[in-house]
Amino acid sequence: MLKKSFFGGKIEQEVIEKMKRHIEFLCSAFETFKTAMVNQDKELMSSVSDLEREGDIVRREIASSIYEGAFLPFLRPNICKFVEIVDDAFDVVEDAALEYTDVELDDKIKDDCAKIADMNLKMCEMLLIAFESLLSGEDLREKTLAIRIYEKKIDEIKFDLIKKLRAKEVKRFWEGKILSDFIFYLTNISDLIEDASDYLQIINVSLR
Amino acid sequence: MEVEEIMVKKIEYIEPGATVYDAIEKMIDKRIRSLLVKLKDKKDVYGVITVRDIVFKVIGKDLDPNKVKVEEIASKPLVCVDKDMSIEHVIKLMEKSNIARVFVSEEGEILGVVALLDVMAGSLIKRVREGWIA
Repeated sequence: MLKKSFFGGKIEQEVIEKMKRHIEFLCSAFETFKTAMVNQDKELMSSVSDLEREGDIVRREIASSIYEGAFLPFLRPNICKFVEIVDDAFDVVEDAALEYTDVELDDKIKDDCAKIADMNLKMCEMLLIAFESLLSGEDLREKTLAIRIYEKKIDEIKFDLIKKLRAKEVKRFWEGKILSDFIFYLTNISDLIEDASDYLQIINVSLR
Repeated sequence: MEVEEIMVKKIEYIEPGATVYDAIEKMIDKRIRSLLVKLKDKKDVYGVITVRDIVFKVIGKDLDPNKVKVEEIASKPLVCVDKDMSIEHVIKLMEKSNIARVFVSEEGEILGVVALLDVMAGSLIKRVREGWIA
């Protein structure tokens, strides 16, 4: 049943390959973001936008194939939703990368941000593992739980960061706005990956 | 997987002369289960006060938390491990010593803490990652 409805024919296989590529691009975007942040390399950070554009192209191709009739109708909405959430994660990491070019991070905040960037990457890698497990018909529960563990850890750092931000003296409006937006985008990514993993689980259940 | 990957770097401290009530307040506010007890003097060693200490040594004995000092019920010395120790070793150490958390130290400095929940979560992540590679 799983193989017949999900893997289906040639067009479904092509979509699955593209969905995998879409997540791999997202992992690359997170890796680039993390490396650029650790090395304070603003030029490398700007290449996150290039990866986002690549991701956009893949998303459009996936959407076209689905509208052309790939997959059984009952699966299409959840597959589309999953792809859209992955794309939202692309948008948010791009927003964070754009803010990074103007943000000033002090040492108190820098370490926490680097840790979140690392965990965002690990979450995305786990999402890829979960996706491949779905294709091979394996149980997803452990993988989605691992994603939730990362999300909770990021949440804990986020609350700490917010406290630090509130205690920080802001001299210029834009300095505060950019820093606040950067932290918001950086900490919002994990929620999207968690949502995406929830949709994988929904697709998995709907295949039973 | 090494403890450095799963340890929690955020550690909350309390003065040894503070009351147990202060410790309760801090634990509830910060939603944590243990506090590192600061050094009293240069000869002193770090200690830890846990929810378990407070419940069994103060509340369970009907003592007034306002009248008991942290240093009176804190456990000393800390059980510490190196940051590159494996999770498997930490589990054995926790089981053998019957403790729920170990501290990660380097040259006398406390870097972080690893509790049972961190070990459980870290082991699951390791299982998923290694299972996938295998």
